[in-house]
Amino acid sequence: MSKNASARRRDPARGMMAASMLFFFVGFLLLAVKDGQWQCFLLSLIVPLIIYAGTAILPRLFPADKLLLSLTNFLCALGVLILYRISPSRGLNQAVNYGVGVGCMVLCTLLVRYVKSWKTLTVLMMGGSMLLLSLPLLIGTEQNGAKNWIWIGSYSLQPSEIVKLALLLCVSYLLSQRKAALSILFGGACLVLLMLQKDLGTALLYYGLCLVMLYAATGSLALVGAGLAGGAGAAAAGYHMFAHVKARLAVWQDPWKYTQGIGLQIVRSFVAIANGGLWGVGLGLGNAGNSTRAGGIPEAHNDFIFPVILHEFGLIFGVIVLLMYLFIVIRAVMIARRSNTAFHALLSVGGAALITIQTFVIIAGNIKLIPLTGVTLPFISYGGTSMVSSLCVIGFLQGVASRNQAGVDEDRALAMQGGDVP
Amino acid sequence: MKKLRKNVLRVAFVLCALFVLLLAYGAYTVSVNGNRWFSSTLNEFAREKRQNVIPGRILDRSGVVLAASDAEGKRVYPEDSALRRATVHAVGSSAFNMKSSAEYFYAAYLYGSRLSFPERLGYAIRGEKYRGDDVRLTIDSALSVYIAGLFPEGKRGAAVVLDYRTGQVLSKLSFPNFDPEDTAAAPAGSSINRATQSLKAPGSTFKIITAAAAMENMADYQNRTFICGGQLQAGSRVITDAGTDLAAGKITQHGALTLQQAFSKSCNNIFAQIALELGDQALRKTAESFGFNDNFLFRDLVVENSSYPVSNRTEGEIAWTGAGQSALAVSPLHMCLAAAAVANDGVMMEPWMILEASTASGGTRAAFSSRVYRRPLTKEQASVLKEYMRTVVTSGTGTAAAISGVKVCGKTGSAEIDGQEETNAWFVGFLDEPDAPYALAVVVEDAGGGGSVSAPIARQIFSWLIRNHP
Repeated sequence: MSKNASARRRDPARGMMAASMLFFFVGFLLLAVKDGQWQCFLLSLIVPLIIYAGTAILPRLFPADKLLLSLTNFLCALGVLILYRISPSRGLNQAVNYGVGVGCMVLCTLLVRYVKSWKTLTVLMMGGSMLLLSLPLLIGTEQNGAKNWIWIGSYSLQPSEIVKLALLLCVSYLLSQRKAALSILFGGACLVLLMLQKDLGTALLYYGLCLVMLYAATGSLALVGAGLAGGAGAAAAGYHMFAHVKARLAVWQDPWKYTQGIGLQIVRSFVAIANGGLWGVGLGLGNAGNSTRAGGIPEAHNDFIFPVILHEFGLIFGVIVLLMYLFIVIRAVMIARRSNTAFHALLSVGGAALITIQTFVIIAGNIKLIPLTGVTLPFISYGGTSMVSSLCVIGFLQGVASRNQAGVDEDRALAMQGGDVP
Repeated sequence: MKKLRKNVLRVAFVLCALFVLLLAYGAYTVSVNGNRWFSSTLNEFAREKRQNVIPGRILDRSGVVLAASDAEGKRVYPEDSALRRATVHAVGSSAFNMKSSAEYFYAAYLYGSRLSFPERLGYAIRGEKYRGDDVRLTIDSALSVYIAGLFPEGKRGAAVVLDYRTGQVLSKLSFPNFDPEDTAAAPAGSSINRATQSLKAPGSTFKIITAAAAMENMADYQNRTFICGGQLQAGSRVITDAGTDLAAGKITQHGALTLQQAFSKSCNNIFAQIALELGDQALRKTAESFGFNDNFLFRDLVVENSSYPVSNRTEGEIAWTGAGQSALAVSPLHMCLAAAAVANDGVMMEPWMILEASTASGGTRAAFSSRVYRRPLTKEQASVLKEYMRTVVTSGTGTAAAISGVKVCGKTGSAEIDGQEETNAWFVGFLDEPDAPYALAVVVEDAGGGGSVSAPIARQIFSWLIRNHP
């Protein structure tokens, strides 16, 4: 197809960007009119602008996957919107997180695009990861049964969110160099440190990520089987070692027994989903996100953001949001399949796995498909570290995509001569 | 690289499968549990919204109004206090959270949550309160009033009547009842629906299930003879039959009986032997096929889950389970379902209580239909059991339920309850008549034997059903 013809074709990413800019303009405007706060008027302009910057301007600086960008930006902006609706101060913070996250995404894109040798970096990251994961054990504070936060001044930081990225990069690199044993050792060490912090949700995430990447790199079902057996052993050990795991399992079996205590969150989430129905009760008209109102879900901004979305926007919208995650994952897999090096392929498929597992673990926990573990919903949950790390993963994917594009350009000459284009 | 690409594709399938799982489970859990979540007492949101709604009416199956609303949205009940009392456990009362009542479980319709957007807009433009949907129940109010008149004065208990072909609940009474117009005078505990929420030992009515287990697991059950020697030592416990008084040296002894005879005489001794012979596993499996230990997630009715104990099973416990005692816990409605399954050729229909929901202007919001819940018996097993239950009424412990010219089948039960002077009198049974496909359960607590107390009540209910549903 000639270049002109492809330019004339309607670009789905552009349409999506325009639609989401309008969506959030109207959304914030509605909230602004309802509450009469000037920050919200400001957000109704700023958030669409960030979307524009993130979706339309970035691809002019380097080749990028526009569909991936527009989907990601929609989800991030949705997080800001729903968080502002729950608590304006959190929403404003999240808008800042979103802006910072986009910046970090660009940095990660450039990192993957321009760094040629990962050897030294990998060694540094491995050392840094061990250090960072040990920090909460030494100076951390305990929250919800897990000791996985550190405070620097008035800023809180969850090291495991950052190490997640390092793990993704290091394991991709090590496996691409056929150093499976070393990558298992590194992943295992991270897991042990996480177990010591009692941060089992993140441990599950790391575990799933390592397993998926190990399989992708080696194709060995025996390794995966051994990994699954080890995971089952660790889960059984965790059940006996940690009281809060037992409690979570009991709540999972029948949350209605514990409505006076630890089961309240999930039961309130059920009720909120039921009230929302197919179409939702309407933005700003629900009670689920507001823990000061009767019937609000406690700590909704963290683990239970998705039920709040279902409550106010309805199940159909919820399915659309899930499909957006799915499209992001499919897009990531396509990038992985088009990449020219094992490192890039593993990095992309790892990113896809990370987003999938994280989304699955938290939403499945929300609807009681699996026991609830406290991981954040990528792009949407409140928190700077979470937002930044999710967007960094997208940054990696963009980096690989732009390298693929470069590869395509180089191969084009080859293809003219009848060569095989990957 | 080629192999890597293939692995990546495989991984992609797994990742996509996780999303599919999430969507599928989400759809499943919302469709099965959504209404339960909505009607939970923790639903503050719906409670707030109710200020702005005039609740819809609750009607019986033929359109008799059981609850309406005044202009302010306050509930108005019928003039006839007997009708109010007889239907209160099906209709419910805003004063109590009665889980299995229409007021509670069909709240989404009654309180306007199913209004469409244009309808809401219309109410908003006219500046009116929302008007909730009307709900028509499967309940027959005349039958309910009749049963309430039969029930022994001052006794606790329950009566359930359902159509075993469809699973429609025609009556669901609990005693003591109360007047929804005067909730302050409601006796303590009267807001509990004993038909669906109160779990008790089923006594000998459970022998329907023990007999079904025998049919399933004993190839030669029809040719076997069992010996009732009066007393049976099982572990640390002794199984005896009704009429036995060890202190006075009186021991009921049935001698040699076939399974059918043991069933119609309701011999504890032989059913305990059968339970021990089958073993706890086999008996539990059959009980579970009848819905024990299941989480009852009926679409349109709330019924407390029945339990067949899985732990602390001593030999004595197992033996007594065969005769329906021990730690078994079941609601009258569930035992009625067991009888209904026998009547309906082994197919247990899901019980339901709502025929339709209609909008204020008379349009249909939602219509409901019957569904199969389980198939605990084969057609052959069901017809043999039906025959057993027929002999109970013709020549066994349930002759007081017999009506000449009508095929009445049933099983009596006299369940011993700790701390009660008398046994709980049970009768579950059905009419084996194609024109009157009704099953019932009658339980009178602390009242005596099922054959003498409940069977006569069952007979009168059956007669009414024959007369009024030709």
